Amino acid sequence: MPPSMRWSSVIPSPQAFTKQICPNAHLRAFSSSPRSNAGRTTRQRRLMFQWLDSQGAAFRDPLPGSTNYLSAYDNHGVLRRVKAGRGNNTSSRSADEQTASDELSTLGAKSNESEEADEASNKKTGGDENRLPPEGRGDRRPFPHNKSFFSEEVLSEEFREEIWRRIMKDGMSVREVSATTGVEMRRVGAVVRLKEIEKAWLSSGTPLARPYAQAVMSMLPQTQWNSAPDARKWHEQINSLPVHEATTLQIFEPTSESRHFTREDAAKAFDENLLSTDERIPHPEMVAKEKDVLAGLPAELVAERASAREDAEIEAKQKQQDRIAKKQAAIKKVDTGRWQFRIQEVKVDDAGADGRGPRGTGWRYGTPLMDRKRGQIKIPTRVD
Amino acid sequence: MSRPSGVTHYQQKWKAKSTTRAYHGEQIREKHWQRMFRSRLRAEIPMDTNYLARYDGSELAAGRGSGREMRPKDALDLRTTNKKSFRIPYMHMTYAPMERRLDTAVFRALFASSARQARQFVIHGKVKVNGKKMPYPGYMLNPGDMFSVDPESVLFATGAPKDQEAIRIGRRLKRVQQHEARQEAEAQKAAEIRRTKALEAKHAQEEEENSQQEADAAALKQERENLDEAQLKKVQRKQINELVETAQVLIRDTQNEPSAKRKVELRSFVKSAKTVSNKMQRKDPEQVDKEIEELVTSFAKLTPSPPQAEAAKREAKALKAAAEEKEVLDAEFKKEYQKSLDAIMQARYAATDESKPYATPWRPRNYMSAFAFIPQYLEVNQNICAAVYLRHPVAKPNAAEVPSPFGEDVQQLAFSWYLRRR
Repeated sequence: MPPSMRWSSVIPSPQAFTKQICPNAHLRAFSSSPRSNAGRTTRQRRLMFQWLDSQGAAFRDPLPGSTNYLSAYDNHGVLRRVKAGRGNNTSSRSADEQTASDELSTLGAKSNESEEADEASNKKTGGDENRLPPEGRGDRRPFPHNKSFFSEEVLSEEFREEIWRRIMKDGMSVREVSATTGVEMRRVGAVVRLKEIEKAWLSSGTPLARPYAQAVMSMLPQTQWNSAPDARKWHEQINSLPVHEATTLQIFEPTSESRHFTREDAAKAFDENLLSTDERIPHPEMVAKEKDVLAGLPAELVAERASAREDAEIEAKQKQQDRIAKKQAAIKKVDTGRWQFRIQEVKVDDAGADGRGPRGTGWRYGTPLMDRKRGQIKIPTRVD
Repeated sequence: MSRPSGVTHYQQKWKAKSTTRAYHGEQIREKHWQRMFRSRLRAEIPMDTNYLARYDGSELAAGRGSGREMRPKDALDLRTTNKKSFRIPYMHMTYAPMERRLDTAVFRALFASSARQARQFVIHGKVKVNGKKMPYPGYMLNPGDMFSVDPESVLFATGAPKDQEAIRIGRRLKRVQQHEARQEAEAQKAAEIRRTKALEAKHAQEEEENSQQEADAAALKQERENLDEAQLKKVQRKQINELVETAQVLIRDTQNEPSAKRKVELRSFVKSAKTVSNKMQRKDPEQVDKEIEELVTSFAKLTPSPPQAEAAKREAKALKAAAEEKEVLDAEFKKEYQKSLDAIMQARYAATDESKPYATPWRPRNYMSAFAFIPQYLEVNQNICAAVYLRHPVAKPNAAEVPSPFGEDVQQLAFSWYLRRR
């Protein structure tokens, strides 16, 4: 059951901006809250509006050219980075004075602060107008109590377009694009998939949600596309090793002191079937290439070996696809227009000794169909 | 969580679980969540390519099994000096299974302003998974699933609300539109009846003139051709309707009302577009395409161009002059056409349209920026209001992907509460 609503939406509040939050409250002809609660202004409610009126005013509208999260501000509603910049540049004001002015800081005071910040940054960068100091990772925590959650960068529109161009126009492989741009392979695939739909919408004249996209992108931190490969900032870690469940337990593995105990041996010690780190990372080809470079091979040979590896991978994938296609082709299909029947060989023994095995085909006498039973969940588990 | 005196561990766990559940999936029954809960916490560790290439891991097992006292300097640098920053906040992953739910994912992708609203969108059939309608908010997304939300719903959920006056005008407008639609439908019905009657009469004549077989073959051929064209015509009709709708929005715009002259121009445009739409059934699809292109270019001239667009136009002209020889004429025309379409769309979004359920021109809701973030396990395209669920959320050194306002200690207590029952 949802928690019960405490606030009545028709409570008249002396604060002017109550109207902004609930503009139509005074016009509502009914209230669902009990009479005894109406008209009661609790301390919490009063404090909330007080906060919204003072420090909280900064969060009403987005901060132009920056993200606007709670952790970027201190308790007085001043941007931390602005304060830090001011501390470095002008240390004339005493700390007492500063806190006194901070306590007064409302929206107007904030604009003063940012003006000062602009001056500071102007000194640093040499005349860049209306620019805040660049935000740090600490400024991107939306939840002040949660020190481990950050609002991570999203790909800018230009970056997405570039990824799409590389895959669809230049014909690069997903692996290659991922390794050169620093974007996870799954993300590369998703970007292309979504971009294709966007282009289809454009060509069919379906309106895009442009104002929404522009507003949201301006509120989020972004990884911008840089055409120079050296100056390019990687979007995310692309070679991450998923922690396997078998490796979460500490084990005692007695072995000789002289043994050359590698990562592969360690994997075997954890689980017989566990592959080593080098095989479980998404980009093993990057490690192989790095090994070639470290071995001092000439650049042409390194490139040649890399392309050979890529060809081998493509061939293996093709073989696998062929195998699947062959399997599919073996199934006889009869299309009746209403339904496509797939006819394949079935063994009676699949049903098991008692005839109730899960791999058995068809309805069997004495085995109830569970799907009509009470409490059976019918939500699909996959959509193809 | 500092332990207050007189509070048992059990009480602490209860408190932690109830506070965290008030944020994480409060729309779900407790039993349901207990079934979803998994004690397995996913994590990922970034690997350094250079380190993997240089060492096979034996340096960590050298000596008596835990590495030599004096290790190679690089290995030391890469693995051990930043041991402190290698702490993985596992406890923040307590509510990770909740993030797999479709309603939560829609909320996290910023397509709804709360998980409850997202749930409503799903139930109302506004959300598709892999292109198919998915009415179950409890659908657990699989890695690679794409979900998309109706853009109008997203604009409503994230846009500023209308004021009372706008709501009233909108209601009046809706009533008028419904009335007009009803009248038009009736007129069409009457026309349809007239047409079929005329056709029947014609067929009767033809039957008399031609042999039965020949007529059948001709009808069959005609039908097949129609089938091929039908879909194309449908798309074309949609395009024209879109243009007509935009023109009507511009005529109605109350904020910057068009001048009398422009209104006349817009109305005549609507009339000509409707004529094209009415007569398209008898025409070649290619011919209709040409007519639509003409309509778009003529309409783009009618839309008010903001000063920014003017500057962009000038810039584009300069660019064009530089690369004039390279550009193929056909491509240029296509670009020009696209630009016209963009201008039309821009004009539509800048206009005040009281028929929408949100304040127009669209602007984001208050206090949206403080909560605007997109977790890394989603890839979102805001233009089409669609997103892909890439993978399950994971914890990484010093960062966890599950968005939660609670600290690690509170989440740890909640985790141990649910662990108790398995």
